Amino acid sequence: MIAVNYLAAAALFCIGLWAVLTRRNLIKIVMGLSLMESSMYLLLVSMAYRKGGTAPVLLDLPEGRSVDSVVQGAAADPVLQSFCITAVIIGVAVTGVFLAVVVRVAEHYRTLDADDVRVMRG
Amino acid sequence: MTTSGSLTRHRVAAAAVVAGTATFLGGAFVDLPTETAELPGIARDAITSAIPDWHDPEVVSVVVYGTRGFDTFGETFLLLAAVVGVIVVCRGRERRRVFLQEERLGRREQAEARRARGEARRGRRRQEVEHAEDIEQGQAEDSGEGDAGIGARGHVSAPAMTVVVRTAARPLLLVLVVAGAYLLALAFTPGGGFPAGGVLAGVVLLAYVAYGYRAVRRVVRPALLEAFELAGAAAIIAIEVVGLVLKGSMSANWLPIGQEKTFFGGGILPAFSAAEFVEVATGVLIAVFSLLAMEREWTEADQEEAGAERNAGEATA
Repeated sequence: MIAVNYLAAAALFCIGLWAVLTRRNLIKIVMGLSLMESSMYLLLVSMAYRKGGTAPVLLDLPEGRSVDSVVQGAAADPVLQSFCITAVIIGVAVTGVFLAVVVRVAEHYRTLDADDVRVMRG
Repeated sequence: MTTSGSLTRHRVAAAAVVAGTATFLGGAFVDLPTETAELPGIARDAITSAIPDWHDPEVVSVVVYGTRGFDTFGETFLLLAAVVGVIVVCRGRERRRVFLQEERLGRREQAEARRARGEARRGRRRQEVEHAEDIEQGQAEDSGEGDAGIGARGHVSAPAMTVVVRTAARPLLLVLVVAGAYLLALAFTPGGGFPAGGVLAGVVLLAYVAYGYRAVRRVVRPALLEAFELAGAAAIIAIEVVGLVLKGSMSANWLPIGQEKTFFGGGILPAFSAAEFVEVATGVLIAVFSLLAMEREWTEADQEEAGAERNAGEATA
């Protein structure tokens, strides 16, 4: 039932979005963005899953499996898995940027409350 | 009342946006592939070409560094841009030619001293300031206890943990180093340099947590990490551009392909993977340690003042 994974990914994304929209603490907003990011990892890995499939490694295939059977769908999707690998590392770096900005905002305004950061409102 | 009314309106609007997004995602996810669907063409192509074209049985690595290497090329520079962003945002103050906080601090201190008429207090304060200056100039060592005061670097005061943690960290570090080397050294491990770089960054962070800043300060130097970061990026550009020049396409293999399942089995794949390893490991370390080393640019007195102003503002509102 891969649909459960899809539902979980959508739910995680929505929880993250709710945190971004309603929280006032900048750290919690960054946590919301990280949740949205994680929901994409779950979605990509779930989309790559194939029932009864092997890992997309053409080394010592299980008995009865050939490269042809793997191509026909008896393996997880390697392209989506590769997207996930790169997305995780990029996610770490981008979260680093967010947190650095949060520290600078906290330094400048002496608060983590997004409502108190009003300079852009004119 | 007005504040709570606007808060309620804000929440209702947020709930509407979240509900709309959930509906949209639900509708979109109905058409996603099920677990029994055929693999898409791009995945089938990657699997069929992995061994004949690249002599590499690990299809994920072939996709990351080979068939969709141009994607990875772009994402590498996204990572580099993020790291440069962190460096720029975390960068400390420029070397000063004028006094900024000292005059204000000095006035406050003198007033306090006058009020208290305590010569002893002023002497202690001066000792603290002189000691902090000595630490900054490297003439004294930070004791590592508590907060060292204005401008103290966060990581300098990070002490080592207890003997239990330090003992447990030792075998763990060994296992992690071997796992990272394994991921990197064999071209047919999933992801190659990406996870291996993450593991190496984890090794340095574990050493930092367990043994304190002193254990990693030889490695965690901007001059060293930034040089390696840029060298990794330059190597990736070189690998891609040589392919473009020699074979007419970025990410085309231009190295002789060795025997299957050996280190040289993938042509440019192990080289790209190794460059990516350097890029990822140094990038993550720079980002994390830049955050840890961010200096506090306000004084405790300023903090109390700001808190008092905010409390007063809330009270009047």
